[in-house]
Amino acid sequence: MLRRRTFTTGLTTAALPLPAIAQSVGQQGRKGGDVIVAMTAAPPTIDAQATSAAAARNISMHMFESLYTRDEGANPKPELAEGVDISADGLTYKFTLRSGVKFHNGKTMTSADAKASMERYAKVGTSRDTLKSVAAYETPDSKTLVMKLSTIYPGLIEAISSPRAPFVIMPEEEGNKPMGQINMIGTGPFKFVEYKPDSHVKMVRFDDYAQNKAYEKRDGFTGKKTAYFDSVTIRIMPEAGARTAGLQTGELHVLEVMDVASSKRLKDDKNIKSYPMLPWAFMTLMMNNNWGLTSKLEIRRAIQAALDLEEIMAISTDGLYRMGPSWQYPGTTYYPGADGLDAYTKQDLPKAKALMKAAGYNNEELVLICDSSNKPHLDAATVEAQQLRAAGFNVKLSVMDWPTVYTARAKPEGWNLWPLMMGIEPYEGPYNVVGFFGGTQCVQIKPDPVIEECNARLANQLKLEDRRAAVKTFQDRMYDQAISVKVGEAGIVQATRANVMNYAPYRIPRMWDCWFA
Amino acid sequence: MLRLLIVRLLAAVPVLLVVSLVSFGLTLLVPGDIAAEIAGPTASAADVEHVRAELGLNKPPLERMIQWYGGVLHGDLGRSISLNQGVGEAVLQRLPVTLSLTFVALTIACLLGIPAGLVAAAKARAWPDQAAMGAALVGLSLPDFWLGLLLIWLFGVKLGWLPTGGFVAPTTDLLGWLRSITLPAGALALTQLGPIARMTRAAALEVANSDYIRTARAKGLTEPRVYARHVLAASMVPILTVVGIGFGLSLGGALVVEQVFSLPGVGRLVIGAVLRRDWPIIQGGLLLTTFIFVAVNLLVDLLYLWVDPRMREGA
Repeated sequence: MLRRRTFTTGLTTAALPLPAIAQSVGQQGRKGGDVIVAMTAAPPTIDAQATSAAAARNISMHMFESLYTRDEGANPKPELAEGVDISADGLTYKFTLRSGVKFHNGKTMTSADAKASMERYAKVGTSRDTLKSVAAYETPDSKTLVMKLSTIYPGLIEAISSPRAPFVIMPEEEGNKPMGQINMIGTGPFKFVEYKPDSHVKMVRFDDYAQNKAYEKRDGFTGKKTAYFDSVTIRIMPEAGARTAGLQTGELHVLEVMDVASSKRLKDDKNIKSYPMLPWAFMTLMMNNNWGLTSKLEIRRAIQAALDLEEIMAISTDGLYRMGPSWQYPGTTYYPGADGLDAYTKQDLPKAKALMKAAGYNNEELVLICDSSNKPHLDAATVEAQQLRAAGFNVKLSVMDWPTVYTARAKPEGWNLWPLMMGIEPYEGPYNVVGFFGGTQCVQIKPDPVIEECNARLANQLKLEDRRAAVKTFQDRMYDQAISVKVGEAGIVQATRANVMNYAPYRIPRMWDCWFA
Repeated sequence: MLRLLIVRLLAAVPVLLVVSLVSFGLTLLVPGDIAAEIAGPTASAADVEHVRAELGLNKPPLERMIQWYGGVLHGDLGRSISLNQGVGEAVLQRLPVTLSLTFVALTIACLLGIPAGLVAAAKARAWPDQAAMGAALVGLSLPDFWLGLLLIWLFGVKLGWLPTGGFVAPTTDLLGWLRSITLPAGALALTQLGPIARMTRAAALEVANSDYIRTARAKGLTEPRVYARHVLAASMVPILTVVGIGFGLSLGGALVVEQVFSLPGVGRLVIGAVLRRDWPIIQGGLLLTTFIFVAVNLLVDLLYLWVDPRMREGA
């Protein structure tokens, strides 16, 4: 028996509390203009399925859509699907597709396109593991896609609705194309014109865009989207000062991110509007549980006790942060609360020193690796190194570029600590947070049996309360065994010119449903 | 002259070979590859390995090396993974940006630096000399990224005269190109102006007391004409040398300036490729940049022959 779940009851992460944004209710949008958005980095590829880089998401989410995506509160919601019917045994997902949705090449979307897109994702998609339980895709008619699972996977809708490396739908003929070699043909409100690497991406309004009438307005990545701008130009501008200067002069209209110091400096500038986004990411300190000092529980606990988390957050985020010990955002479905965590999150140097003594610490090197390309990482690492030195650790801080750090941290030996901001994963819900610490490729290198069990329960328990209990167990284990440290929750600031109306900040600067005054 | 040309071109071959070997060696020594960048910061090692396999990055080094050199011999510098584009095409697309930036910067540096050096030589140890050399030293000492940001703030934000970044092709809009290139070229020029002015001064001082200069003065030529026609001509060889070196340094400086002003040039392409570990671009970009550097040095050598007839006899 199938049951219809058009929306999200029982499936979701529920509302992620985002900042209250004044929506220009009642204002009439005005068509026209070329809006120029500045983003900080070039995408490693613009093949939406193949990368989880935020820079690619900024572009692809304007051109592509998925069967399901996330709403304003990060809940899974239908986009190209009208809804999904899930069989009672959890093994059959029947998606009914919306009618009359056109691709940018003029072709009408059918289930064959959806099938080919999902099959391509299973081959090249970054999050393709989430489809490994799908045994077959069936297309009984042009409006229906059926996914047959070999084993139950209650997180499927959460997975395929994630914008991390989005499960975008493209025409069937693109389905066989290798990674990075697709034509940029989607169903989104803007269509691709050109990509000049290191310079810009240009998109124009797709006038045949099929609005989703099931909604009344913009809602996260879904909703009733209306494109007002004639075109969107996303410029790649790595230099923060140049981006801010461009916004001040009016050469740019929207900044993906403005540094906090500049937003404070320009708070009285009537031509600029700043939009703080808090929470944006978890700031974490990953620990290698497999090698050297951090393979010892007492040392990991000593590190936990030696850190002043608030000081790290205050410095690494320029003051745009909040403290929160939970490994899920408060207010979301899987939020396990934070009771009893105070004991782990308060700095206690005598305790740290006692634990170091109990572990037989003898001035061995504690290797902290960090990348230089992300300022919050570097600032956090600098403060952490100092705090750990103050506790008596002999810290070696190794600063490298991102690819080098990534290679180093993937090795089972040679590093102890690694600061990392987790942006999209906590927004998605528990699966990629708990999953990050699970399996043979877990970030802490040495798998933990309790976390393995939590991952299994998240994957195979149909009841929401069972899955929530798994997240609670995971969180307790993270603190009890000091697997890694959650430092706090960081924010960012997005910014626009004052004449950009009805803008609402989100995971990317969305250029639909806003317009020039 | 033809003999010189052939000898210098043949001498470039081992240079290019060494550079290509070093750049290929770097791919083996430097950790990381583009698969990690594509997979994203929180991807698992298995995810990265999957991307690596999809892109064919897990082939043995020797196989990759043979494949790459085979391609180079056929004029194929490889294919960029991140751009999904041939390396030669990617570099050639961006070369006009970098070359126009470098050319305008050197032109500004020469137009200001050479007269400043001549004035300094003519008024040696007087205040114009000290002022010109002081200014040259300031230009030489300022980092170009900081100078770039300062110019953006002053001429872009405060005065609103010029755009703060971006590039307009001269074929699209000549005035737009000039506006877009002025600030970055200015930032780059100020760092090159110093060496040119100082070298001009030194060379001019060396020839200013020569007999033929004294003869020119005895003929009744004014000091400006003496310096403009005779001292400058006799000082051109060392000036050309420093301009040639300045071209190479400007290509290097363009890496930073292009980043600050968001110019889509070769420098930015290579920096992006280094950060993403897009090895075909790094290798191809280095090879082409080396070739340009060698070609400019050759051009400078040929210019020596033009400005100094004595050297033609040796050639």
